[in-house]
Amino acid sequence: MRPATAPRAVDLVRDLRILLRQTRYALVATIRNSRSVVFGIVFPVILLIMFNSIFSSGKNSTDTFHHHSVSTRAYFTAGLAAYAIMLQGFSTLAVAVTTQRESGQLKRLRGTPMRSWTFIAAHMLRTIVFAIAMVVALLAIGRIAFQVHVSGSAVAGVAVYVALGTAAMATLGMAITAYTPTVDAASSVGPFTAVILSFVSGIFIPVSALPDWLSNVGHVFPLAPLADGMQRAVTGVGGGTGVTEHDVVLLAVWGAVGLVVAARRFRWVPQGVGA
Amino acid sequence: MPGAGAALDVGTTEARLVEVVGAADGAACELLPHPAAEAHASARTTRHRRITGTVDAGAPVPLPSPMSSAAIEVRDLRMTYGAVEAVRGIDLDVATGEVFGFLGPNGAGKTTTIEILEGYRPRTAGEVSVLGVDPAHPTREWRDRLGFVLQSCELDPLLTVRETLSLFAGFYTRPRPVDEVIQLVGLHDKRDARIGRLSGGQRRRADVGVALVGDPELVFLDEPTTGFDPAARREAWSMIEGLKALGKTVFLTTHYMDEAQHLADRVAILRAGRIVALGRPDELGEGLRAETIVTFRSPAAAELASLRTTVDAAAENVGDLTTIRAADPQALLRRLLAWADEHRVTLEHLEVRRPDLEDVFLELVGDDAPGDGAAGGGSRA
Repeated sequence: MRPATAPRAVDLVRDLRILLRQTRYALVATIRNSRSVVFGIVFPVILLIMFNSIFSSGKNSTDTFHHHSVSTRAYFTAGLAAYAIMLQGFSTLAVAVTTQRESGQLKRLRGTPMRSWTFIAAHMLRTIVFAIAMVVALLAIGRIAFQVHVSGSAVAGVAVYVALGTAAMATLGMAITAYTPTVDAASSVGPFTAVILSFVSGIFIPVSALPDWLSNVGHVFPLAPLADGMQRAVTGVGGGTGVTEHDVVLLAVWGAVGLVVAARRFRWVPQGVGA
Repeated sequence: MPGAGAALDVGTTEARLVEVVGAADGAACELLPHPAAEAHASARTTRHRRITGTVDAGAPVPLPSPMSSAAIEVRDLRMTYGAVEAVRGIDLDVATGEVFGFLGPNGAGKTTTIEILEGYRPRTAGEVSVLGVDPAHPTREWRDRLGFVLQSCELDPLLTVRETLSLFAGFYTRPRPVDEVIQLVGLHDKRDARIGRLSGGQRRRADVGVALVGDPELVFLDEPTTGFDPAARREAWSMIEGLKALGKTVFLTTHYMDEAQHLADRVAILRAGRIVALGRPDELGEGLRAETIVTFRSPAAAELASLRTTVDAAAENVGDLTTIRAADPQALLRRLLAWADEHRVTLEHLEVRRPDLEDVFLELVGDDAPGDGAAGGGSRA
């Protein structure tokens, strides 16, 4: 007969093993999912190339950002890195989890000895891996193709925002699944929110070109501080890491909101009609 | 009897199962009828009946709970959704090592009951013990000893068979080797195929593989062969017989009466939230079983009327078949054949048979029965 209780340390080692395995298969499944590859990986790269090619010369080559003249290409590259983090953390995650829940996969997992936290953590790790990979890829393309150079101190700033932004977006992605009863709902809400917020957060259109009220609306939501922080770091405004208290606090608050909602409202059984 | 029919159709599967099962047990377990195994099974059933609900100190298999020798014990289980009583007082015991068939039309409360036993649903009232644990308070150790197949395939379509089984194997403390499980469910050729690219039957087998990979003591199979073609069903049957040979307890729901007849040691028939019959498949429905069923293609209407007046007033017309039930088939046949000769009627498709489980089922569930025995598996509550 099996022992009734295993020592705590043995249990933890076992759970960490489960976590690694789940993370690995979550990564594999994401790569094999054509929708998540097209929208989460290919799309930001295409946008980066398009934006930086369109705004390549003349009066478009510089833009005003926090009262400084900055390289438009550096500005767009940083903003699209923030956009990629949102797609990975929020949109891809929400669609993946809703799909798993509505097809009954979560219910099935729930009936095994798997701990809930390893499932959640595996999705978080998968998101972190893809978010870092996307930011690295976009900055590398920016550097090689568009001469966008990131200074040493700016790298630290980028790292802070990637960590904080991914955490906030991923907890919000988990939280939103409580409000997407079907896969259709999740695949509408996820990408749609990212696109709308990108317009009002200075990612597709420079903040300098937005009317104040629209930019103010944008700054209520978490994509704006993430984009602002990345843009500060990469364009070198202010010369330091680009980390500001305002951006960090706003992201942290959104992350906390996501965490509370996800912890209270996350569902394991199908919610959709006919389930 | 188990295996006899299947052996001809799926000899290779049988051989594979025998091999795997033998290897797992270190003994030559056979899936074909085995006198000793049968005697053992029936002895167990007898013992189970005698000691229902009591402590049996002499149980042959060591059990986790000293309070119970049954794998599943249910007393007066009730479940109410708002004003709807889905389950209205169920009592049942499933002995360790038994294959228990849980039958009933859609909406009878099968899925509600099985989900309560699996720890997925709370209950309104009653006592339930599954492997000595109340499923309303599931523990990780308890889940480690259970396997289950839910009604539809709930596996990630993007992962391969091998990846899926390896993922699930990781959740359990004593998993069976993944390759062995792949053999057991007959997916060796498809082990590197993605779940989403398998046929319905293959997917279901992967599903069963996931249920077995943790080497569970008790397996819940909720309509495991719905949507299978006849060959795939025979293979699934062999697999379930393999589980029995390994000493697993199996709790099976199905829409197919031949499946229950073939696989189950005992069956319960559920109707409108209550058990209306419980016992061995070949003993169920004693009243009906005492009768013999005579069927033949219906004669013309005028002749039918004459048949009713001279042979048997209770002759029933179902579809294009006439059915007569008789406690004394010899006397009935004598009258029937005399009538046919006299009226120069040829009794086409004449058949004389004992009632089977399907007849008993239809008799017991009456109008609640689905029109098609294989009707879809979307039932809830």
